[in-house]
Amino acid sequence: MRLWSQLRSWVRAMLRRSRMEREIDAELCFHIEAFAEDLVRSGVSREEALRRARIEFGGIERAKEECRDARGMNFLESLAQDLRYGVRMLRNSPGFTATAILTLALGIGANTAIFSVVDAILLRPLPYPEPGRLVRIWESSARRDSPRNVVNPFNFMDWREQSQAFESMAAISGLMTNLSAHNEPFAVQGMQVSPEFFSVLRTAPLLGRTFNVADGVPGQDRSVILSHGLWQRQFGGDAAIVGQKVQVNGVPCQVIGVMPQGFSFPKSKAEVWTPLALTRTEEYKRGRYLTVVARLKAGVSLEQARQDMLRVASYTQQARPDMDKDWSASVFPMLEDATEKVRQPLWVLLASVGFLLLIGCANVANLLLMRGTSRLREMAVRSALGASRSRIIQQLLIESLMLALAGMAAGLIFAHIGLSGLLALIPQNSPLPRSEPITINGGVLLFVFLVSLFTVALFGLVPALRLSHVDLQSALKQGSVRGGVGGHQTLRRCFVVAEVSLALVLSVGTGLMLRSFARLISVDPGFSREHLLTMHVWTSPARYSDNLKRSQYFARMLAAIRSTPGVEAAGSTHFLPLTETISRSCFSPGDGPQPIPSESPSAQFLIISPGYFRAMGTPLRMGRDFEERDAFDSPPVAVVNQAFADRFYTGQNIFGKTLWVCWTITKPVEIVGVVSNARQAHMQDAPEPTIFLSNAQAPMYFATLAVRASGDLQQIARGTEAAIHSVDPDQAVSNIQTMETVFSDSVSSPRMQAVLLLVFAGLAIALAMIGVYGVVSYSVSERTNEIGIRVALGARSGDVFGLVLREALMLTAIALGIGLAGSFALSRVLQTLLFEVTPTDPVTLASVAAWMVAVSTIAAILPARRASRVDPTVALRYE
Amino acid sequence: MGKQLDLLQGTLDMLILKAVSLGPLHGYGILLRIQQISKDRLEIQQGSLYPALYRLEHQGWISSEWGESENKRKAKYYRLTAAGKRRLQTETENWNRMTDVIAGILGTRPEEV
Repeated sequence: MRLWSQLRSWVRAMLRRSRMEREIDAELCFHIEAFAEDLVRSGVSREEALRRARIEFGGIERAKEECRDARGMNFLESLAQDLRYGVRMLRNSPGFTATAILTLALGIGANTAIFSVVDAILLRPLPYPEPGRLVRIWESSARRDSPRNVVNPFNFMDWREQSQAFESMAAISGLMTNLSAHNEPFAVQGMQVSPEFFSVLRTAPLLGRTFNVADGVPGQDRSVILSHGLWQRQFGGDAAIVGQKVQVNGVPCQVIGVMPQGFSFPKSKAEVWTPLALTRTEEYKRGRYLTVVARLKAGVSLEQARQDMLRVASYTQQARPDMDKDWSASVFPMLEDATEKVRQPLWVLLASVGFLLLIGCANVANLLLMRGTSRLREMAVRSALGASRSRIIQQLLIESLMLALAGMAAGLIFAHIGLSGLLALIPQNSPLPRSEPITINGGVLLFVFLVSLFTVALFGLVPALRLSHVDLQSALKQGSVRGGVGGHQTLRRCFVVAEVSLALVLSVGTGLMLRSFARLISVDPGFSREHLLTMHVWTSPARYSDNLKRSQYFARMLAAIRSTPGVEAAGSTHFLPLTETISRSCFSPGDGPQPIPSESPSAQFLIISPGYFRAMGTPLRMGRDFEERDAFDSPPVAVVNQAFADRFYTGQNIFGKTLWVCWTITKPVEIVGVVSNARQAHMQDAPEPTIFLSNAQAPMYFATLAVRASGDLQQIARGTEAAIHSVDPDQAVSNIQTMETVFSDSVSSPRMQAVLLLVFAGLAIALAMIGVYGVVSYSVSERTNEIGIRVALGARSGDVFGLVLREALMLTAIALGIGLAGSFALSRVLQTLLFEVTPTDPVTLASVAAWMVAVSTIAAILPARRASRVDPTVALRYE
Repeated sequence: MGKQLDLLQGTLDMLILKAVSLGPLHGYGILLRIQQISKDRLEIQQGSLYPALYRLEHQGWISSEWGESENKRKAKYYRLTAAGKRRLQTETENWNRMTDVIAGILGTRPEEV
């Protein structure tokens, strides 16, 4: 109520300024007139009466000013004045202003950009209703050191039937899917899902319906759901698409629904969903390849779900010991599971920008402290002229606010540029774990702004706070204030030491990442990635239903490709290296009993065509490659890699040895060749023992072709595609890319980390340099007098130079100690992100330390030179 | 007429509220009324009267309007608002309590301590 009337009176005062002014005038005028009239009545002359009335009244202007103050009329006025003054002050010292704003902007921008990514990927809940109840369930085996293994279909079916903790559970199997509309084949990422999939996610379709139980019955599974993007792109967004037939992998299927825009599953770029019809038939008994997602019942905790799954897993172990001995089940929250691999790198990046913000704030604080000292005289003058302390504080706060706002505006621009640059660094083919759009996070921007504002306001107020300790007279008398003000130089030195040590920690992290990245890309992958083209083909199960037909089809396709001009060699593999795909299975010596999945040794299996090694450039060590004569019904053969020979046949003649394999070949296979080791899933994984089988003898539905060619790869790609279509015009070809791109994408994550850290460390070092420069040059200006005396007493300019440099190096030495200790303390964090480099790598530590010393020296050289040129006569007269 | 007393800090507001509680007055009238009631024993700085009036109006305890003075001149008249009335009452009570306490303290004789 009172507040309201105050506000009203204030607003009135603001709006009707001139009227208020007139009213004050009129009122005071009336007072004096009335007073004078009374005096006249007592016999004084009118002139004398007016004079006495004025004297009695006192200072009219002061009274008016106090009236305006009482009404709050002065507030806006002084605000406007302070703003004008602030702008002038900031403009008068452009170096200070630019440095402070830039520093704040970098801190604000980098933090906002990185945190926006962290928030969008790690923190924001998944885009489904009640996402906290979504979990992933994996098979896990402590013996095989495999906490998250894909799932066997029989186990999934048992889990689904016997578990009690889950509302619903779905299985996913994702691979490329061939579609054909208007007789034009194309391949898209697809997902085969059990009918519960959409109800687990609780996502309704945009059009039509999602799968029901009937869609999961074999023979009735001829339905398909399209993504919004695919529907728009290939079917023109036609709502009548629901109910129509499209060819899916050569089989006509009915489109039953279209998902809404933005619907996606973490880590998947699937654009079509087809039903996964699982049955308890021999077909699904072997192998582990399903991803399982489930929704917890309301009120069931993760721990309860884990216990429930352990119980179910102990049942499956007993029911199928040959398959499931030592295999249990593990449950993870879906968000945690999806972001598992990026979590640590992202936190490291966030910590780095946090460091950058700290350095930035320390730097700005330093600048403000320094400026505060030089403004002490100005403050003293204003104070002497009658400015109250609160008025001076108001003015300094406004200057701080202006700095912080300018910093935020520039920071917002940096954040935009930074974020789009960041997103551009992410390769198209290895998407982030989440596909929701990443935008600038307003909350973070505000938080970082407030941190900067706090720093700026706190240290910007120093001159006002100091004013009460300083004798005004002496402050005004002296040219500069000396003596009794050295305390802040210590504070400033502390800030600089903090800046340099933080910059050092950041640089050590960066150095380690760079070394690790250099190691990673210089690893010999065991194949040559130049002049190599890769593409994916997925054959239609309908057209090539039996193994013989498929085997012959691939042979014809490769023959056609090899006869394309420019092609030097061509082959196929079911999993291309460096695409994070891997397949393992069991085997046993051919002279012993058949293998048992849970007991027998396992190896990596790759199904390749003749000519694959030649195309990849993987040298054959001994024996021979697959050949034409190793046809579908010929005696089965295998090639193994050196790691396999070393591990299982050390010092033995491997040729003529046979193996039972847990694969489609039921007879023992004879080892006919040994090839060099090559990297498979990731560059950083040591080569595993591998058994290669021939695609002619164990044909797969899909393959990635490797084509070695000379000349323009784009042209070769077109020629190759034409060759494939000459064999089967309906064959879709997808993911056409060079092996260079595959390689580059596969190391994109460590590269991105290294690049970003390099940028952050560079900025940190630049800021630390500014800090060192500021402190040293201030101390030179403070010691001009002393230096003058030294020179007058015979010190040479070199001595003076060294004197100044010593201060910088002393600060750096302290910072090195702290920074290196910090790096050691943080080394554990980086451990898992590094490849073949220890986090306490002496080379990195030593070179970063040397680099910091060099940088500090450079920063101190300018002020040191200024000091060494001090003219003693000038310096002494100055005092 | 005895020696004039300087106004105690913070009491001017209270006196103004009391003066206008007896009927609407212009600024000069308030000055005269306080002097009259106090029998000229209080010295009031004329210059500080108007800022005090503006402050009280800003706080909503008095309101003002332009009217005509006894000698047919335009003058600004102040009157007590309802809020001002309550304020005056609490101020008066506080003042009385305060003077009682202080008088009690000042009147204390050595043997009573």
